[in-house]
Amino acid sequence: MKKILTSALLVAMAVSSWAQTPEEKGLEIAVEGDKRSEGYGDSKVKLKMVLIDKKGRESSRDMRVKGLEGKNGEGDKSLMIFDTPKDQKGVAMLTFTHKVKSDDQWLFLPALKRVKKISSRNKSGPFVGSEFAFEDISSQEVEKYTYKYLRDETINGMDCFVVENIPTDKYSGYTKQVVWIDKAEYRAVKIEYYDRKKSLLKTLVSQDYKQYLGKFWRPGLMVMTNHQTGKSTRLVYEDYAFNVGLKEKAFTKNSLKRAR
Amino acid sequence: MMKKIIAPVTAGLSLLAAVSTQAEVSLDAQLDYELSAYFNDRAVPSVDQRLNNSLSLELEVFTAWDNDNQSITFKPFFRQDEMDDERTHGDIRELIWNKLTDDYELKLGIGKVFWGVTESAHLVDIVNQSDSVESIDGEQKLGQPMVQVLLEREWGNLDLFVLPYFRERTFAGADARLGSGLEYADAIYESSNEESNVDVAARWSHYWNELEYAVSIFHGTSRDAALGLYVENGKFFFQPYYAQISQLGAELQYLNEGWAWKFEGIYREGAPTNLVGFGYSAEDDNYFATATGFEYTQVGIWETRIDLGWVVEHIYDSRQDKASFGAFEHDVLLATRWAANDDADSTLLAGVVYDYEYEDYSLSIEGNTRLFDGLSLALEARVFAPADDNPQIGFRDEDFVKLTLSYYL
Repeated sequence: MKKILTSALLVAMAVSSWAQTPEEKGLEIAVEGDKRSEGYGDSKVKLKMVLIDKKGRESSRDMRVKGLEGKNGEGDKSLMIFDTPKDQKGVAMLTFTHKVKSDDQWLFLPALKRVKKISSRNKSGPFVGSEFAFEDISSQEVEKYTYKYLRDETINGMDCFVVENIPTDKYSGYTKQVVWIDKAEYRAVKIEYYDRKKSLLKTLVSQDYKQYLGKFWRPGLMVMTNHQTGKSTRLVYEDYAFNVGLKEKAFTKNSLKRAR
Repeated sequence: MMKKIIAPVTAGLSLLAAVSTQAEVSLDAQLDYELSAYFNDRAVPSVDQRLNNSLSLELEVFTAWDNDNQSITFKPFFRQDEMDDERTHGDIRELIWNKLTDDYELKLGIGKVFWGVTESAHLVDIVNQSDSVESIDGEQKLGQPMVQVLLEREWGNLDLFVLPYFRERTFAGADARLGSGLEYADAIYESSNEESNVDVAARWSHYWNELEYAVSIFHGTSRDAALGLYVENGKFFFQPYYAQISQLGAELQYLNEGWAWKFEGIYREGAPTNLVGFGYSAEDDNYFATATGFEYTQVGIWETRIDLGWVVEHIYDSRQDKASFGAFEHDVLLATRWAANDDADSTLLAGVVYDYEYEDYSLSIEGNTRLFDGLSLALEARVFAPADDNPQIGFRDEDFVKLTLSYYL
């Protein structure tokens, strides 16, 4: 009897797994990845961005990023403060991520003491001259894409799901992204970006992952390579800190003016 | 002039010294070298100097303590100008103590705030006086003594200001470029307290999705100078007159796809009536002025990284030809903004302001790029083509190109 039950259960599981469409499986992976990054509360990190041109010449920018996890179904908030280049010191950008509607984004220009709202139409544009677009650096909410599981694949010895993400926002610069997510920890280790003409535009590789607070995995290095221009951008993260006690009032339009 | 700022500079430094024993102090500096080239000699009054060198230094000393809930910013500014003694000047741009609590934010000292959304005119922006010798677009400001309380609430941000001391507008010297050709006599005031009149201001601002809005009020000494003619020993002077005014301001901005729709407007009571060419009469002239328009941005044009923006704004002043000198009464701005999105953050803004009553125009180009980290280059060029009957006829020979090298320490 017991044996029969077990077999029935196995058959039922197999059927349910067959019944799951690639779209359902893709979404399931995205939801699981999102769930694993929940509960970080707030965070702080230093960031060095190195822009590398075709000839290998480098120029760099230093910035700090503070993040606040969204509560009650709200998206995350982030504040980015520029330290270099020196003429950009004190420039700050505040982003309120939203799950469905467009993100809200403001830029503070210290010389004029002016806070300017940035149009969400700009999301496909380059972020501060780098190979990252605004939409690449904004918080990745599950609702921003539709998903399709493609296959399993092993890269760098990591067993990965390969999932196709299609942006829901018509202003996205991409027709699709192909994402490699490692099965063990649900980290996006590689992303391929396809432009509006559906050709491969960029590849992002994330590595040197470290775990914080025994839970949250963050990369130490991200490299975005533009295949069409030969340029690339390196992001080096330092001094990650979580649950440092940042409050809502550090993420307001007004807080931009005192961000430093 | 220098004497006037030595006391606050000393006070600022000793204050910082006192605090710095407890906290870390950061120092930044920006040194600008500016070379201006004028295309023509000026006829009246005669000026034949076509090249001008100028140097400026701005320091920023900052320290924070109390878990960053309190800070002091000190920003002195100095300029040495070859041609214009009036432009050789110093100012405390900021010397301000900032305290942040759970309920409010307090700022006390000399500070700077910006109000407004439009590009062509900054009508509602009234807290700080324009440092007109620095730039003719009114975007450089003198430090303003203030007590500011800011409340951030569910219903928006409310900024309350008490402004205990008035700063006179700076004017170019009589023999200098972009000057009026006359020297300036001591200012006179409608308020018997003169520059010590206590002004008050408030601004409420909020946003809803892609719509941002603000309403502001101001009561006190007008930042605009009405200019009267004054004769002493057969010599003519301009005499600035600062009236007591009340102003109501409104700002609106709506972002929709690539469009940014913008409006700002003021209604002002108590301004003196300008008499074209003959100074002003103390009789009040209530008026309103608006700037309305849009900016449309195309991201990544021609499959490049370049963003191209188109700016169209209409500026209107209900006083029409009686508007104060330098005001836009019936003008249209057409401009194009280029952002290269390169590693040097290069930008270019080129525009024409067309006055459809006088049927004349002025052109401007402003560009910026970084040569390397720590050194930036800016370009500004202006061409003035005022009609013969336009009060701004004096600018006819003042077309210039200006290069500024900025070194950041």
